[in-house]
Amino acid sequence: MALDRAKKAGASYADIRINRYRAQVVNLRSEPDFATGKVNHVPTASDSETFGFGVRVIADGAWGFAASYSVTEDEIARAVKDAVEIAKANAPLRSSPLELAPVVAVHDTYRTPIAKDPFSVPITDKLALLRNVADDAMKVSGVFSVTGFIAQRVEHRFFASSDGSQIEQHVYQISPEFTATAVEKGKKQKSRTYRPHAVTAGYEAVERAKMPSHARRVGEEVVNHLKAPPVTPGKKDLVLLPTHLGLTIHESIGHSTELDRALGYEANVAGTSFLTPDKLGKFQVGSEIVNFKGDRIRKESLSTCGYDDDGVKTRQFPIIQKGIFVGYQTIRDQAHLISQKESMGCCYADSYDSVPFQRMPNVWLEPSSKPTTLADLISGVDDGVLIDGRGSYSIDHQRYNFQFGGDAFWEIKGGKAGPMIADVAYQSRTPDFWSACDAIGGEALWENIGLNADGKGEPGQINAMSHGCAPSRFRQITVLRTA
Amino acid sequence: MGWTREQAKQLADQILSYSRARDCDVRLDLVQRTHTRFAANEVTTSGAMVDLNISVSSRDGKRTGTLQVNETSREALKKAVARSEELMHSAAPDAEYMEDLSPQQYPEVHAFNEETASATALDRRAGIQQAMEISRARKLKCSAFVQTTSRWSAIANKRKNFGFFASTQATFTSTARTQDATGSGWAGGASPRLLDISTQSIVERAAKKAESSANPRALDPGKYTVVLEPQAVADLMPNLLFSFSRRIADQGKSFLSKPGGGNRLGEKLFPDFVTIRSDPFNAQWPARPWAGGGGAGMGGARGGFLGFGGFGGAAFEGLPVRKVTWIDRGVVNGLSVDRYWATRVKVEPLPFSGTLTMEGGSGKIEDLIAGTERGLLITHFWYIRPVNPQNVELTGLTRDGVWLIEKGKIAYPVNNFRFNQSPVNMLKNIEAMSEPVVTALKDFSSSPMVVPAIRAKDFLFSSKSDAV
Repeated sequence: MALDRAKKAGASYADIRINRYRAQVVNLRSEPDFATGKVNHVPTASDSETFGFGVRVIADGAWGFAASYSVTEDEIARAVKDAVEIAKANAPLRSSPLELAPVVAVHDTYRTPIAKDPFSVPITDKLALLRNVADDAMKVSGVFSVTGFIAQRVEHRFFASSDGSQIEQHVYQISPEFTATAVEKGKKQKSRTYRPHAVTAGYEAVERAKMPSHARRVGEEVVNHLKAPPVTPGKKDLVLLPTHLGLTIHESIGHSTELDRALGYEANVAGTSFLTPDKLGKFQVGSEIVNFKGDRIRKESLSTCGYDDDGVKTRQFPIIQKGIFVGYQTIRDQAHLISQKESMGCCYADSYDSVPFQRMPNVWLEPSSKPTTLADLISGVDDGVLIDGRGSYSIDHQRYNFQFGGDAFWEIKGGKAGPMIADVAYQSRTPDFWSACDAIGGEALWENIGLNADGKGEPGQINAMSHGCAPSRFRQITVLRTA
Repeated sequence: MGWTREQAKQLADQILSYSRARDCDVRLDLVQRTHTRFAANEVTTSGAMVDLNISVSSRDGKRTGTLQVNETSREALKKAVARSEELMHSAAPDAEYMEDLSPQQYPEVHAFNEETASATALDRRAGIQQAMEISRARKLKCSAFVQTTSRWSAIANKRKNFGFFASTQATFTSTARTQDATGSGWAGGASPRLLDISTQSIVERAAKKAESSANPRALDPGKYTVVLEPQAVADLMPNLLFSFSRRIADQGKSFLSKPGGGNRLGEKLFPDFVTIRSDPFNAQWPARPWAGGGGAGMGGARGGFLGFGGFGGAAFEGLPVRKVTWIDRGVVNGLSVDRYWATRVKVEPLPFSGTLTMEGGSGKIEDLIAGTERGLLITHFWYIRPVNPQNVELTGLTRDGVWLIEKGKIAYPVNNFRFNQSPVNMLKNIEAMSEPVVTALKDFSSSPMVVPAIRAKDFLFSSKSDAV
């Protein structure tokens, strides 16, 4: 009905997404009472279930979009009319009409493979799990507080387009984690997080994470971190574990290879990219051992689904090969702008009432073809730092200059990892950093690191994706002392 | 479109009538958004969206279960209340449980503008068209974004508390870049009234900045005197204000904590001329008359999925807002206190609320530049993150225009920088300020504030950035 009305109103293309979202967060904060010192446990149990539609049209060569929470025939008709009017109002400002890369019309369904529906697991069980974690971590002398959560979400998406596609998808995402904090009052504080991989999967991801078995270790490490001496700043070799390197990949490679940034579409907010179209196929971003894939099909990765929000079948594609930049993340209305004939399937809207646009797929670093171990990486370092987990992170608006902290740091001296050190951050420039990568761990060490919430766009939207990688080594990077 | 107070109350009462729990809180948000986006000299996306958020929290004196929905049929609402009661029964007891509020007196805040609520795509196109015409005439590559948000919010509980608030917000931002990609300029504005935003002046400011920042010269990082435009000042404020929490200070986790215990409330930490308030009644950017989240917690439709966000929303929920002076002539005068913490330290709760305002001087930013022997003029900042929460050391980058000032005049544009700097020290190092002005709404970073441009010494830039 919506697509017919849009065509009759003058749209040359139309699609409708009718989506239902269910999300749940169960969390627990445990910290000492101010007056008595007794540990207070503060749980939160919240669920959400929302439903709505969004209609997107091209009329007179421009996009128009309208959306509503009220999924009725009358409201859809009103939205279609609005979307076409908006497109026609803006069309005079376009220098040339929009072009869409071709797509194969399909009638299909996709469902994330799950073993255990996370919404079927009682909240009491989830809170009990978090309580066990908190109790065990807080048994470690010096742990001040513990917070933990289990967040889960399912998108039930229906997409239909005037190209003839009808696609229904159920995508499940789940993310458990907990953090322990230690405080030297009025002087310093440290936290340590156990962040099992956020994935597209069911509750089995929480069970296999075995959070309670990590509680005491995390507690002990945060206390050691609080007592640890500060790093001596200077040029050092870094061995970065996947739990840390995933975010560095996201910021430096994931964002710089988005075509909308490179074209200037994000100039007013998220920024542009140093990887401009003239560099495609030529520019050396990293050393010859560096290979990245864009991907929306890898099992359990957070951006994995069957079709994107343009109705394009998802796929895997090269982004960097032997250190050279070879591929952008693209969607249907961009491909022709770099003389490409098809979209890479990177279109996504974070809600029925958000406009679909180019979002980051899973971007992952290929492991070494050799069985390189963590010990191999460390043994080649005379003066360096081993970094685990996410800390402070910041990168410029063209994705050159970045500064990253971490969650835990160990000194490397004479080829061996030693005691924890503190107050570490490193600064580099994306091509310099990846050119300094001289060793990557083997496939056995590869981990699929999920990022829950990446922001981009105007109005701002949130996206989740994964950045798999193995531990990797980077030579002579500038290390700062942050306290 | 939209609700009257009576319509919102009727819906809230209907939901509450289905409750069988001892207490029930309802938060309602009906939101209508429109936007037009222009980038690389082309209109890109444009839309009109209407969404509803109904949040129901059932409570039994020890436990709370919260459900968010957006369907309004009788059956859907009854089911939502029943589901929130199931969640409540599943939840564990909350050691910091606070009883629901009795009826509160919410202040009148005037924030709704009918013309903004009814603005059409053609109304929004005017500013975008100016951006396009200016960028084409001056051979620039221009982006712009205009958005209007109309919101009807209500809060209600079984103890007869009820509040209603209608508001509109409009924002316009623009970035211009030179064709050779060596210059970039940004400007923006925000108001409850779309027509009060001078889009022409914003586009021209961005264009002028792009042209005058082109072909920057290389300058080494280091400590510089800076003249920060009001937007740059606003960008640094949210992380500073996060430390103004009595709980965090008492727990020893803030620069306002004393070593070994206690807080620095009442101590003079900043120069006499530093006064920072929050003011929900500020006509340039008024705020909702009650504190806490308006219904949207986590989850919902949004594509990412967030975990625990702290104790901000629920702990202050429903308290009437008021004007608060956090720093009074250099003295730490206020720390926010959530309802539970207030019972432990035996003070009245004090929520964060309203638009942040900072007192300034009497002159213009040009006066600050004229008084600078050698320093850097900064347009705004990007990707600010805390490095050390204890002393609020932040890192981030300059963006869209940095110029070297020599002997009171702008000498030439220079490269962007990464900074590593605490706004605490920045406030201590202020030498002069301009008149305060309202800043822009930047997605994912800062809300509009009313702050001056400042000149501060010894601002640390740790490395150069090649980004333009």
